[in-house]
Amino acid sequence: MNAPRSIDEYLKQLRTALGGADPALIQDALYDAEEYLRAEVAANPGKSEADVLELIASTYGAPEEVATAYRDTEVKVRQALKTPTPREAGSASAPARFFGVYLDPRTYTSLFYMLLTLATGIVYFTFVVTGLSLSAGFAVLIIGIPFFLAFIGIARVIALGEGRLLEAITGERMPRRPVHPGPPGGWWARIGEMLRDVRTWTTLAYLVLMLPLGIVYFTLAITGLAISTAFIGAPLSVVAQHFGWPAYAINFGSYTLGVGEHSGIASVVLLAIGVLLLTLLMHLARGLIRLHAHLAKALLVVPGT
Amino acid sequence: MDDTQDRKFQKDLNAGLVALVLLGVLDRSTEDLYGYEIAKRLQRANEGEALFKEGTIYPVLRALAAQGLLTSRVVPSYAGPPRRYYRITDEGRAMLGSWSAIWRQTRSFVDRFIEGTDA
Repeated sequence: MNAPRSIDEYLKQLRTALGGADPALIQDALYDAEEYLRAEVAANPGKSEADVLELIASTYGAPEEVATAYRDTEVKVRQALKTPTPREAGSASAPARFFGVYLDPRTYTSLFYMLLTLATGIVYFTFVVTGLSLSAGFAVLIIGIPFFLAFIGIARVIALGEGRLLEAITGERMPRRPVHPGPPGGWWARIGEMLRDVRTWTTLAYLVLMLPLGIVYFTLAITGLAISTAFIGAPLSVVAQHFGWPAYAINFGSYTLGVGEHSGIASVVLLAIGVLLLTLLMHLARGLIRLHAHLAKALLVVPGT
Repeated sequence: MDDTQDRKFQKDLNAGLVALVLLGVLDRSTEDLYGYEIAKRLQRANEGEALFKEGTIYPVLRALAAQGLLTSRVVPSYAGPPRRYYRITDEGRAMLGSWSAIWRQTRSFVDRFIEGTDA
C-alpha cells in the first residue's frame, strides 16, 4: 500500500487494515488516529499536511501497525474484563439451563433496561422531533446553523451514552469514542458533512424508534411481572382466606380460580404456572435486549464510508 | 529479513512494557495528560529510533482505564473535539510499584547472561 499523503487517506487505509474487526473498535481506532493526526498537523503550522503525513509512519505508526495494536489490545482487554457468567450451555441439563437464567446478571439488567426504555424513549423521541422541527424553523435565521450543529452534536453524545449503557447490560462491544467531528472547517462544510453522513440519519432513526420500542418493552415487562407475581402469590391468597382476609381470585371466563373448595390445589397449579411465566419472561428479556443491542449497533455504529 | 525479525522481537517485548511506561509517565506528571501529550512526551524521550509507535498507546491507555488503573475526564477543547485527560489512580500507583519491581528483576536477570556478569 502507498504511504498515505493526507489525513483522509491515512484514515481510509486504517479502516481497510481493520477490515473485519468489530465496527465499534473501528470507530474508536479512527477517532484516536484522527485526533492525533489533526493535533500533529496543528502543531506543525509551517508544514503541509502531506509533509506531516510523511513522518507519521515512524511516529504514530503505519496503518497496518496501528491496526494490529488495536486488535491485540482488544483481545487482551476482553479477556481481562470478561464478567464471569455462569456457563449454561453444554454440560448442564435442560431444566438447569432453563432456570439458570436466574443466575445470569444480564437477565436483571435486561429487565431493568426494558423498564427504563419507556422513559428514555420519550426523552429521545421528544428531543429528535423538537430538534428537527426547530432546525427547520430556524433554518432561515442566523441561529439556524449553530442550532442544527448543536442538535446533531448532542444526538451523537446520546448515541455514545446509549451504546455504553447497552454494553454494560448485554456485553455487546460498543464504541468508547464518539464519531470524530472531522476537520475544523467552516459551518457550512460541517453541516454538509453531517447531512451526507449516513450515521446522522440512522442515529436519529434509532432515537425516534426508541419510543415505540420503549412502549412495547415496558408493557411486556410490566405485564409479565404483574401476571407471574399474581400467579405465584395465589397460595398466599388461599392462606389469607383462612384468616378471614380479603382474597383475590382470577377469572377465566365464567370459571373462577382462587376461591371455593378446590382453591388449595388450584393455587398450587397457579404457582407453578407463575414460576413458568416468570422464567419465560426472564428468557424473553435477556433475548430481546440482546437483539436490541444488535439493532442499536447496526444503527448507531454504522461503519462509515 | 533481519529487520522484520528485529521488529517482531521489539513488538513482543513491548507487549507489557507500554503499559508500564504509560503508568510511569502519568505517575511523574504533575498534571493530567491527554493522549497526544503523552505521545509527544514519549517521542521527546525517544532519541533516534522510536521503540514503539505512538499509535499503539491509545488502546493501552483505554485498557488501563478500563482496569481502574487510570481515571479519565473529558475536557472540551477550542482546537477540536473534546480531549480525554488521564490521571493515575492509587490502584495504578500500586501496580506501577509492583510492575517496576518485576521489571528491575527481569532486567538484572537478563543482563547477567548477555552482559556476561554471571560467567
